[in-house]
Amino acid sequence: MFPQLVLYLATVCGAAALYLLMPKPGRDLRVLGGLLGAAALGGLWLVLLPLYLVKGGPLGGGELTLQTGFDGAQLPFYYAFSAVGIASAVRVITHTRPVYAALWFVMVVISSAGLMLTLAAEFMALAMVIIYGGAILVTYMFVIMLATPPQAEDEDALTPDYDRFASEPLWAAVAGFLLLAVILSVAFLPMAPNQAAKLPDDAVLQASTFTARQTVDELKYGTPTGYVATDSGQTESIRNVEHVGLDLFRSHPLAIELAGIILLLALIGAVVIAKTRVDEPEPDGEPERVDVGPVDPLSI
Amino acid sequence: MLLALSSPMLSHYLLTGAVLFVLGLVGFISRRNMIQMFLCTEMMFQGVVVTLVAFSAFHGNVTGQTFVIFVLTIAAAEAALALGLVVLLFRHRRTLDASAWSALNG
Repeated sequence: MFPQLVLYLATVCGAAALYLLMPKPGRDLRVLGGLLGAAALGGLWLVLLPLYLVKGGPLGGGELTLQTGFDGAQLPFYYAFSAVGIASAVRVITHTRPVYAALWFVMVVISSAGLMLTLAAEFMALAMVIIYGGAILVTYMFVIMLATPPQAEDEDALTPDYDRFASEPLWAAVAGFLLLAVILSVAFLPMAPNQAAKLPDDAVLQASTFTARQTVDELKYGTPTGYVATDSGQTESIRNVEHVGLDLFRSHPLAIELAGIILLLALIGAVVIAKTRVDEPEPDGEPERVDVGPVDPLSI
Repeated sequence: MLLALSSPMLSHYLLTGAVLFVLGLVGFISRRNMIQMFLCTEMMFQGVVVTLVAFSAFHGNVTGQTFVIFVLTIAAAEAALALGLVVLLFRHRRTLDASAWSALNG
């Protein structure tokens, strides 16, 4: 009962914080909103804290020990990266200038890449930074550059109204955080991993897949078959990229083809959309209706 | 090596993913600039990706990470098409305001 109550209080707090942080007319209460938001995130983490203080544990005895499932010191990095990521995400949706929102989004991408590094998914982290930070964000920057409204003379009207004021921030925040409360009450339940889905041991995969590499390493290090030895004499497991590549090309060949077709269609579609001719509108914003009428064929 | 994530830590990552997703959703509903709206959909993808990778680490299976590649594919296709549309709509009305197109309400 008590954790559920804290959870609901924290989500209400978060909704209020987001409402205060949204750009809107009236008094500027963004400092209060930031404090409320930090309190909401802290409250949500507080709900989770008792879960991994487990009696007994590796030290034995009756005292509470921390069981995180991490063998290294990844826990502080989790907190740092998710705090930075969530704060930047709030900045993305509250900033009044799209260029700065896009730059804050780069920060979100980098921190979620950091979260993936703490999960030992190096390939995903690098792919996120390269594809999101490198490719998609550059596209956004180009569009922001291409689609800039005509600049007004006075400084106040530099950011247009639709950037300065959000529409229905209250209802959006309420609906969003209602959804968050529902998701989190499910996500905070204890779960058990699916043992049947667990990949086979690295040594088994190595023996069945990387036979060529084994012989090379045998030649180099003189180790028995079954595992690869590094210079330090320790057995080295299969790397993350190799795991992902094996799974991708062994289990999902049709999906790769479909992804390629989707990318090709999107490419063609983007070119078609970009080449569509638009008659330039009148300065008052109304679309110009071109009335062709009777055309003198000699004038063309 | 695949990380064996404990259930409480999985909940932590699900928290981060859900918050990113919900922030993207709130931004998509309430912002009026079309470019920022599509930036918010990308943020929803970020939340989903964090969730997928966390589940992948929890179950000791890389299928979740493989699925991220397909999510990235869809995100790239969506960004190309959506931004092409945004430029087209901008050339029609000379504004990025989504409510300039409220005539589409029907």
